[in-house]
Amino acid sequence: MVIPLSAWLTLAALMFACGLYAVLTRRNALALLLGVELMANAANLNLVAFGAAQGSYEGQVMALFGMALTVAEVAVGLAVVIQLYRRHKDIRIDAASELSG
Amino acid sequence: MTLSQAPFIVIFAPLAAFLLLGAIAPLRRSGKAAAGLVILATAFSFEATVELLVHVLRGGRDLELSYRWIRVAGEPLAEVGLLVDGTSAPMAAVVGLVALCVQIYSLGYLGPEEHTKADIGRYYTWHALFVVAMQSLVLAPNLLQLFIGWELVGLCSYLLIGFYWERAYAGKAAVKAFWVNKFADSFLMLGLVVLWVDTQSFGWDLAGLPAFNVTTVGLLLLMGTVAKSAQVPLHIWLPDAMAGPTPVSALLHAATMVAAGVYLVLRGWPIFGGSEVTLTAMAWIGSITAITAAIFACLQDDLKKLLAYSTCSQLGYMVAALGAGGMAAGYFHLTTHAFFKALLFLGAGSVIHATHQQSMSRMGGLAKGMPVTFVLFAIGSAALVGLPPFAGFFSKELVLAELWHAGLTVPFLLCLLGAAVTGFYVTRALLRVFLLSGEHRMPAHAKGHESPWTMLLPMLALAVLTLGAGFFQADFTATVAAEQAFHFGGVGIAAMALALAGVTAGVLVHRLGALGVTGGTPMIEDRPLDAFYEWAYKARLLDYAAAIAWVDRYVVDGLMNLGAWWTLRAAELARRLQSGRISDYVWAVGMGMLAVMAYGLVYGLGA
Repeated sequence: MVIPLSAWLTLAALMFACGLYAVLTRRNALALLLGVELMANAANLNLVAFGAAQGSYEGQVMALFGMALTVAEVAVGLAVVIQLYRRHKDIRIDAASELSG
Repeated sequence: MTLSQAPFIVIFAPLAAFLLLGAIAPLRRSGKAAAGLVILATAFSFEATVELLVHVLRGGRDLELSYRWIRVAGEPLAEVGLLVDGTSAPMAAVVGLVALCVQIYSLGYLGPEEHTKADIGRYYTWHALFVVAMQSLVLAPNLLQLFIGWELVGLCSYLLIGFYWERAYAGKAAVKAFWVNKFADSFLMLGLVVLWVDTQSFGWDLAGLPAFNVTTVGLLLLMGTVAKSAQVPLHIWLPDAMAGPTPVSALLHAATMVAAGVYLVLRGWPIFGGSEVTLTAMAWIGSITAITAAIFACLQDDLKKLLAYSTCSQLGYMVAALGAGGMAAGYFHLTTHAFFKALLFLGAGSVIHATHQQSMSRMGGLAKGMPVTFVLFAIGSAALVGLPPFAGFFSKELVLAELWHAGLTVPFLLCLLGAAVTGFYVTRALLRVFLLSGEHRMPAHAKGHESPWTMLLPMLALAVLTLGAGFFQADFTATVAAEQAFHFGGVGIAAMALALAGVTAGVLVHRLGALGVTGGTPMIEDRPLDAFYEWAYKARLLDYAAAIAWVDRYVVDGLMNLGAWWTLRAAELARRLQSGRISDYVWAVGMGMLAVMAYGLVYGLGA
């Protein structure tokens, strides 16, 4: 059976919405990173789905690049979280509000 | 030194001394070394002025050096430079000579007992600045540079009047001199502005310039002269200026700086002489000053204040002569007056140095103790009264003759009467200080003692000039480019007779005084005029200033402050955007993205 493109896109949109919701509502920095990850993977899913619909591999190649990029981003994000913890003994992002106006 | 370098040396030698003393504090505080440096610089400057004067007297061409100064739209707004001609060279030489004499004299006058080395250094530093300022005024090629020099000499005057800053009245006198002069200078500056607006020029030479209102400019500039040359009714600062050291009074407030007002008229003759109204105003102001100040001089007990009023009076003669159109007469009287009045002030300084007194009623019989000072003072007095063959005789008679020939009868009579009053007060001063026994003599200084040679030598030089200058009158008038020559006529005889009558009256008053007819010495000063100015200042000017200040604070500044307040409020609101919470930023990003997408869905994304 062929799953239609719109189904994939709907799934990706839902994933993105979940990720955004997590980023907006969660205070825990790790949960924040998870949300970001979810959003990134939603984008990847879109790429793969479009690629499949067109019958080319380009979408999958892009998705692979995207994953590699996400891994790097998470590595940086975790490093920031560790620094946050060292400074504030806390990983709730409200703790880091030095730049508030 | 070549001739082309001379004008520079006139200004830059004292300027170098001033800058050295200003920059190197230990040198300034060394006292004698500072004095020596300034005297050396002034001597160089004087030597250069003599060279220039000789050049001009030999009929050499005028030297003019000018440099463009402020550029406005590629055109120079003004020029600065040096102009040596028949008008500026004699004045420059007089300034150089008197400055040198006074500076040497000050070596003896500023004794080490009352003055610290730092005081002496400060004194000579201002003296160096004064020579720079005065010579740049005299050698100015246009009115703008003259104005700059004019203000600088005013500053030096303020600083030197207030030299004894620890005495409260000296500070007050300095402020008074400054205030009165600044008041008048605002009119002078207005005159410069009017001249510039009409002609786009600050030059002396009006040939080739567009027509402008000569009378308005002349009268505005004349206000500057009235204050600087202590003419009625702005003469009030000069008697108080005597709070400064006596040599300063001799240099600034008798011989040179106060004559700058007269010099302005000489320099700006095309402007002043171009209007009948300005000339008439000058003749009247000058003659009224000549008689009024002479009468006030009679009422003084303070020797220096007597000389100060006498200076006002003699400056009045100069202004009156110029008002009568007698350029050469006014200028010649300026020159001779510089010599004999500086001599008189230095003589008074010598007496004050010996007795530590300025009050004539505490002096007396000093002729025995200080014979040289007495003789020199008497020479100066004779010149002031206008007795032949002293210089004052030639110049004063020339002034009176000018007034007579110009048909200004009342100013002529006022000046003639002034000559008699001059004879009276000079005789009285001479008698009370040197000849008669004092009324309340202080025993410690009863005899007085002769001053050191550093003080006597400059006086001697000035006395020689006082004796001899009169005979060079013909050369002088030729240099200043006027044709009047001295002629001993009816005017001269009348003036001399009246002066002698004044002298006789002075002697008689003391003869009668010895018989107990006259009482104590009245010490009236023109305080009513001071009170009037104070009233005008407090009741009118201060209210006006307060109103202006209110407008400035609440209207002009208020508008600016309102703008600033709104900016602050906006910033206050804007800073709330940066909450420091990541989720807020993400909201903003998300919403922004949605907004862009919504825009794209509705209107299309272009391309």
